[in-house]
Amino acid sequence: MILRLAAASLVARGLTVGMTVLAIGLSVALFLGVEKVRTGAKASFADTISGTDLIVGARSGSVQLLLYSVFRIGNATNNVTWESYQDLASRPEIDWIVPISLGDSHRQFRVMGTTSAFFEHYMYRQGRSLGFGEGVVMDDLFDTVIGHDVAQSLGYGVGDPIVVAHGLASFTEHKDQPFQVSGILEKTGTPVDRTVIVSMEAIEAIHVDWQRGARIPGQTTPVDQIRQMDLTPKAITAALIGVESPLQTFSLQRAINEYPEEPLLAILPGVALQELWGIVGIAETALLAVSVMVVVTALIGMMATIFSSLNERRREMAIFRAMGASPMAILGLLILEAILTAAAGAVLGLGLLYLGLFIAQPIIDSAFGLFLPIDPPAIREALVLLAVVAAGAIVSMIPALRAYRLSLADGMVVRS
Amino acid sequence: MKRLLPVALVAIASPALAEETRELDSHEHGVGELNIAIEGGTVAMELHAPGADIVGFEYEAESSEDRAAIDAAVATLARPLELFVMPAAAECTVVQASAALESEEEHDDHVGEHDHDEDHADDHDHDKEHDHDEEHAREANHTEFHAEYTLNCGNAGALSKVTFAYFGAFGNARELEVQIVTASGAQAFEVERNEPTLDLRGMF
Repeated sequence: MILRLAAASLVARGLTVGMTVLAIGLSVALFLGVEKVRTGAKASFADTISGTDLIVGARSGSVQLLLYSVFRIGNATNNVTWESYQDLASRPEIDWIVPISLGDSHRQFRVMGTTSAFFEHYMYRQGRSLGFGEGVVMDDLFDTVIGHDVAQSLGYGVGDPIVVAHGLASFTEHKDQPFQVSGILEKTGTPVDRTVIVSMEAIEAIHVDWQRGARIPGQTTPVDQIRQMDLTPKAITAALIGVESPLQTFSLQRAINEYPEEPLLAILPGVALQELWGIVGIAETALLAVSVMVVVTALIGMMATIFSSLNERRREMAIFRAMGASPMAILGLLILEAILTAAAGAVLGLGLLYLGLFIAQPIIDSAFGLFLPIDPPAIREALVLLAVVAAGAIVSMIPALRAYRLSLADGMVVRS
Repeated sequence: MKRLLPVALVAIASPALAEETRELDSHEHGVGELNIAIEGGTVAMELHAPGADIVGFEYEAESSEDRAAIDAAVATLARPLELFVMPAAAECTVVQASAALESEEEHDDHVGEHDHDEDHADDHDHDKEHDHDEEHAREANHTEFHAEYTLNCGNAGALSKVTFAYFGAFGNARELEVQIVTASGAQAFEVERNEPTLDLRGMF
């Protein structure tokens, strides 16, 4: 009975109530959205690389090494000499080692030189291997495998020629040695999607006629001649390592970190990811705090509307009283109305969240490589919604108590 | 300041030793490192802890009390299951355990050779007389206890929690930075004195 009354009363004040519901809904959607992005980003981060036990690069910081070797953000402070790489590769603890060479680009995408072992050992999302959407692993010197996003945004297909630019943001391009797309990888949601992969030898080959960052004028080595040359790399940027047994991970890591011939750094990807997340996590907490404040603001807004409605509804309350409603019933009515409003807001928020997710998911995925799974609401989200409704009820108690006191004293005559 | 001192000394000493590779590990009093690697039923652990954490001093043992303190500490460190308490259900037994006190330059076994370096409070005065020495920056005199353990666990899946009695045994230790490697990846934890447990669920 009181429920029907509350619902009817809300409907009667449709516009104001609608606005309040919208405000709560938006704030709830924002909060859940931030939460979604937060957990999605964290999972996406942790899923970027798996199955690799150590990453080796020039000595810098673990986060920096992780950033440039895995996320292709920033640059290496130094390269690792090929000799050191060979030294490492021959160690008995090593099950597999994959070299990586960075520094060139194709349009806005980074070019990475590596070996075909990369496709075998690089794993993401808990042990998933890279899959080919089309084509095969590079076979010829000038073959390249491109990530999904590269193919999508540049419209490349298998067999298309591409030109690799020297350096990152430079306009000088390695025009003489056009590469050919031999394969396109499946979408992974990792930085591999935005990478052009060539062989280690190809990285050497494109730099044959270059010295100190500029072309040697008038000199072009024909492609046939390049194929005859010794294209053993002189340096690599980093290497991914798998160890024979986890028990050897730490001793190998120490051996690399204390390698006397060259200052090297070996990191545990999982630990470095955690460290990186620790840095990013501060912004994440701030974001979460802001979205909580928005929810609180919306609830206070609701309280304000209830307060202002009390005056308008003074006569209504008096009539309820005259018809035999107890002051407690008045209190209950107002709280119930608030609960209904907050619940409607929460449901609307959830709806907005999923609507937003459906629209934004592919955009966020392609723009930021951040995959936000569209799952049915989990217990955590249900708890958040419940908390919003409960907070709505608590907040509404203040105006409701006022109405309770007024309804004790007020007569049917509205004094003005 | 304590951490900068060795760096500064290396910088002072460098012209005379231009051809050597110089390196010093970071060293933070109160903070030790514990690495744990788990594969199947085998658990390999290594502990690095500053001398200050374990015995409260880092100078070379002079008095018999100092030496006794070091011996006692080494003996304690050689009993890993009493320092890092594993659940009984995991059925862990010690296969191998070793502990030793090492000075910063562990690569060159010259520990104990520098008896003349008695007073480490005024070590700057020693700089000049050390230039002829083949060693360098001995004045820093940071020491670390290193321990290595191999455990065998009948039921490694039950390793859900490790309780660090370590902090009870060594009153100066504040924190252990723990890194764990299993087949499913690596993770880092910080275990502090006021919350000396490590939750390992989710590592398997």
